[in-house]
Amino acid sequence: MTPQDITKLIVRTAMKDRAAFDLLYRRTSAKLFGVCLRVLNDHAEAEEALQEVFLKVWTKADRFAASDLSPISWLVAIARNHSIDRLRARRQPTGDVAAATEVADSAPGPEALAVAGGEAARVHACLDELEHDRAAAVRGAYLKGESYAELAERHGVPLNTMRTWLRRSLLKLRECLER
Amino acid sequence: MSAADDNGRELEGDEALAAEYVLGVLSADERKEVARRVGAEPAFARLVDEWEVRLADLGAAYQPVEPPAGVTTAIDRALFASAVSPVNERSGIWTSLAFWRAAAFAAIVGLAIAIAIPLLSPAPAPVAAPERLLASLSADGSDIRYVALYDAGRGAVSLSHESGQKAAGYDFELWVIEDGDAAPVSLGVIPDGATAELSLTEEHRRHVADGGLFAISLEPAGGSPTGAPTGPVVAAGELRSL
Repeated sequence: MTPQDITKLIVRTAMKDRAAFDLLYRRTSAKLFGVCLRVLNDHAEAEEALQEVFLKVWTKADRFAASDLSPISWLVAIARNHSIDRLRARRQPTGDVAAATEVADSAPGPEALAVAGGEAARVHACLDELEHDRAAAVRGAYLKGESYAELAERHGVPLNTMRTWLRRSLLKLRECLER
Repeated sequence: MSAADDNGRELEGDEALAAEYVLGVLSADERKEVARRVGAEPAFARLVDEWEVRLADLGAAYQPVEPPAGVTTAIDRALFASAVSPVNERSGIWTSLAFWRAAAFAAIVGLAIAIAIPLLSPAPAPVAAPERLLASLSADGSDIRYVALYDAGRGAVSLSHESGQKAAGYDFELWVIEDGDAAPVSLGVIPDGATAELSLTEEHRRHVADGGLFAISLEPAGGSPTGAPTGPVVAAGELRSL
């Protein structure tokens, strides 16, 4: 399924074409479930989140045209943001589970580099220009939706320090990507 | 972390807020406020979208996991349970039934020939503009079925209502969607009856001639009040050359 095919399905979903919506689900639900699972780290909650994500896709598909994202990245962004919102709404962070997956996220990993190819190499190359632990903080925050508070605790620095570090890192990242 | 490579500059203001939102580090309250501003302030929404684009490739690290089958059932229930009234099988004799069955059969044969021709002939023949286009319209979970035939010579769409009833106080409206990002264009409310015909304006004929998809949505009586589909799509199908 090419990006053009997914674009068509989103456009047809925007005009409430149910067959297109069903096909869109079949083509993209595994990827989006992967997003929900990674962020929420809980199977039952990820299932609920995925259901809500597709309800959002059904009602918000017309907004795809306003975004510069590729169709799959647009869908991933909806799933990520929704899962992070759910994560923040929890009363207690599930610390043990988060710690268990921490090691895997401190480096880009072969999966990220292999799947993505040329374009993706840019953001990874730019992250590699940052100090290792700052790049790891950016990746951890992005992939797992870690909050400033969680990152500060894990890296053993005050929250304001973590905020300053990340804002500097994000500025450098932007400048690198615009070079 | 050392500060050796820091030059002291950092993202500020809305640019920082947008980046932090996309990165996912904000608190629940901060995220709510950002989401509200995304809906209300186009310039701020643009900042957020730009950061989504910058970081999007990190999403390649998410490994696909097949979700349980129950999720799609739940989505269907949530979205479509009340969309269409229960359907009774139509009764009575359709005067044009034999024609429509023949047309549908011809479409299948035509498709088979279209697939076979490139295999048989060494050079592709020049493609003429299609004179007649046929679409079989249906959708999973809906029993509304129509067959639509567009005759370019007459500039009209003939419709055969195969099955499915609409709820009282509603109308079926026919739309054409060209390939790509085009918005659906209304071809009009479908008159009641086992067969119906819609005459198209010149502009509508051009849209249909470009091919794409026919779709039928359930609309308030008299058709969509907005010019765009407002109800569920109860049937849709690709336009194929006949």
